[in-house]
Formats: sequence, C-alpha cells, structure tokens
Amino acid sequence: MKEMRQSNRKKEKEREKKGAKVRFLPLILALLLAFGGCTAPADTADTGRSGADYSTGGLVLGTESDSSPQTVSPDEIPVYEGEPFIEVNGNVPSFDDSDFTSDSFETYSSLDSLGRCGPAFANIGRDLMPTEERGSIGQVKPSGWHTVKYDNVDGKYLYNRCHLIGYQLSGENANERNLITGTRYFNVEGMLPFENMVADYVKETGNHVLYRVTPVFEGDNLVADGVRIEACSVEDRGEEISFHVFVFNIQPGIMIDYATGESSESDSVPAVSSGRQDQTSGADSQQGVIRGNSRSKIYHCPGQADYEEMADSKNLVVFRTEQEAIDAGYRKAKH
Amino acid sequence: MHIIACVDDRLGMLFNGRRLSRDEELLKDIRALVGEKKLWVSSYSDGLFARYGFDMQICDDDFPEKAAPGDFCFVEDADPASFRKKIESIILYRWNRRYPSDTRLDPTLLQERSLTGSREFPGSSHEKITREVYA
Repeated sequence: MKEMRQSNRKKEKEREKKGAKVRFLPLILALLLAFGGCTAPADTADTGRSGADYSTGGLVLGTESDSSPQTVSPDEIPVYEGEPFIEVNGNVPSFDDSDFTSDSFETYSSLDSLGRCGPAFANIGRDLMPTEERGSIGQVKPSGWHTVKYDNVDGKYLYNRCHLIGYQLSGENANERNLITGTRYFNVEGMLPFENMVADYVKETGNHVLYRVTPVFEGDNLVADGVRIEACSVEDRGEEISFHVFVFNIQPGIMIDYATGESSESDSVPAVSSGRQDQTSGADSQQGVIRGNSRSKIYHCPGQADYEEMADSKNLVVFRTEQEAIDAGYRKAKH
Repeated sequence: MHIIACVDDRLGMLFNGRRLSRDEELLKDIRALVGEKKLWVSSYSDGLFARYGFDMQICDDDFPEKAAPGDFCFVEDADPASFRKKIESIILYRWNRRYPSDTRLDPTLLQERSLTGSREFPGSSHEKITREVYA
C-alpha cells in the first residue's frame, strides 16, 4: 500500500497526461488517520477551554472507517477566542513513522454523498510545487457555496474557494476534492500563514513536509466549521516544521448558518458552530480590514483615501486591528 | 550590543518553538553586516548557521550576559526585552510574509527607537527581504 501512496508528482503528471485521474486512496488514508503513531506529549495541559477535550488531543478522528469528511458533534468544535486558529493535540501532528518518505505525493478524498471534501494528504516537495500562475477555479462550487458580498469583509466576498492543500504547495488548481467553501478570514488569516511557512521551508531547503488538512463538519452541515492542519518536516523529523492546529472557518462580523452556507451581518463575533457565541471575545467587526503597505509602513482604514487602491497592491499587508498594525511598526495614513 | 532578529508581518519570531523561516541570502547579509565583529548566537541558532556552512558565530546560550558593547547578537529563542537596557540598536529582517507565530518581538523595542536605515534585497527563497535598522 505504501508503494501506491508514495507516487511522486512526476509520475502523477505523466499519468494525467495519459488521461488517468489523480489517484485517491480512501482506505489508506483511513488507516493512517485511525492508527496515527504520534500522540500528544504526556505533559499536555488541559487548557480549560470549553468545547473539545484538548487534554486528550481534541478532535481525534477516532475510529473513522473511510476518508469521508470528519463529522463531529457540536461540543467537539473548539470555541473561537479571537485568533484564527487554535493548537490541538499539544501542537503535535499525528503522522505515523511509515508516512515519512522522501518521495512527494498527494492524495485527495472522494466527495461524500453531500458533495463534501474529506482529508487531503500530501508530502510536499519542490517537485509538487506549481511552475505557473494559478488558473481559474470559478467553475467549482464546493458544498455550501454562496456568492455573497459584505462591506465589512476584506475584498467584499464572504466566501472563497479554499484549497485544502494550498495551490502554492501542490499546484492543484480546480480539483473539486481539494476545494471547500471558506470565509475570507479563514482563507487569508487562518490557512495562508501555515501554507506560507511550509512553502518557504520546502523552497529554501529542498526538503519535504508531510501536510494533512482535514475538514471538520458538524453533522450534515455543508460548510465546514474549520479544518485541522497537521504538518511535519520529513528529512529533519519535525525539527523545523511541526504543528497541529484547528483553523476556524468564521468571519468576524458575519453570522454563518453552517448547515446551508446562508449568512447575515452580525455585530457579535460568530462562534464556529451556528447559534453558539463566544461570550469572552471582544474583537470588533472591523477585523481583517486594515490594509498596510509593507513598503511605506503606512496603514489605511476603510473610508480613507487609498484604502481601495491598496487592495491590489503587491505591498499589501492585512491587519485585523489598528493596534496590530501599530505594533508591527506601521502608522496610520493621514487621509 | 546590536541585536539581529527576523520577523514576519506581525513581528512574529517563533511558532511552536521553531523559527518561522530561513534564507541563505539573509545569512550572507548578516555576515557582511557583522564583518570582523563578534556575532553571538544561541545553541538553537547555531544549527541554522552551521547548516549553511557559516562559522563566524559564537555559540553561547548566555550571550545576553556575555556580549560586550558593539557585539552583534542573533536573537531567535531569547526575549530581547529581557535585556533591553544593553541593546544599542536593532537590525530587523522582515520576511514580508505572514506566518503563524506565538512568540513575537516586543513592539516597544522598536517604538522607543528611530528607524535609521532600510534596505531591500531578494532572498534565495523569499521574493523580498527588508533589513531595517532601529537605533
């Protein structure tokens, strides 16, 4: 089975040219997920958070028997506390020793009966990375997809088609098994920084990184509450890259019905599960909308003169709050 | 001492006890910057320099105590705010990228100084790295 899974990118591309489909190995993935060899360290502390049981690793896949989307009950979803992600399993990924290989590979789960994505698993290497700009992905309509715009969302559009394995990592473009409905905040603030970290490590060192993204759905919801991301650098066995996080699929200022993908403006910060609110967070509805210029170290707020122009700037840096921009050494534009 | 630190867009330095990124061209820039002066590093950072074949650094986890005025200190897993009174200037390398982080540079270290110089250069794997000097 391992030989099957360790197909490298070059071989995959050759197969694709011949008309073959990218190989999907649900059974293997299920085994990997069910019998992951790494566990949380013994001294992993119970954070005292409500929601998932972090002392036992939280969001453990348990006895999953196939690669269908991970479905959980409401009390298994972590509570959003103002940060786009939260560490799980003591920040220790759950890869098995047999996963570690210097051959690149990528596997994607088949969609389930509701059209939802399951886990995507890859060993990221330079040979998987794209050599050209990403093409259009607009033809894919992930489960729960709605095209909807809000003024308090950076870029206006609430939902993005979010790659499970980021395009910069695997070069997978419009693969419906790799795209979920995710908020702008989830995509840019939540997933992208992790993808950046892995991509830059691989580019710089030529090493590989095991990278698994598991969408987490509550019941039959069409929109995921979030994703678990696990990563571990291969050649140095996690010395440089090692993490295990849950990224919240939320949008500050917007209430989402995860069952359908319907949404509405809300003054409160939405919890990941529809109907549940995080009472402790005081984050404001302007999160994610401060635009900084990395060259001038000036930031722009909505309504300021150059705010809209900054949206397409190559020097754009997005901050969630003005204080965050100030702390990063930026000063506010005068007009 | 002159401290050298690498940060992302939010002044992040580490995540899960690990550096956020690395780049050979950045280390070459540090070597050119330091010249013949001393460069102190922790045992964690020593591995980074050694991996690229650099040997100009002095490895000592007690470098905040041992570094003399004028020396350079490459700071990754130490909190420079804990020895702020010894800091003469801060050389800040910005990755110009957003990474996850749980350890960040204290922004007051920059706010209490003035930006006296800035230079951009391409990295070996980063499109643009910015070197800033706060004194």
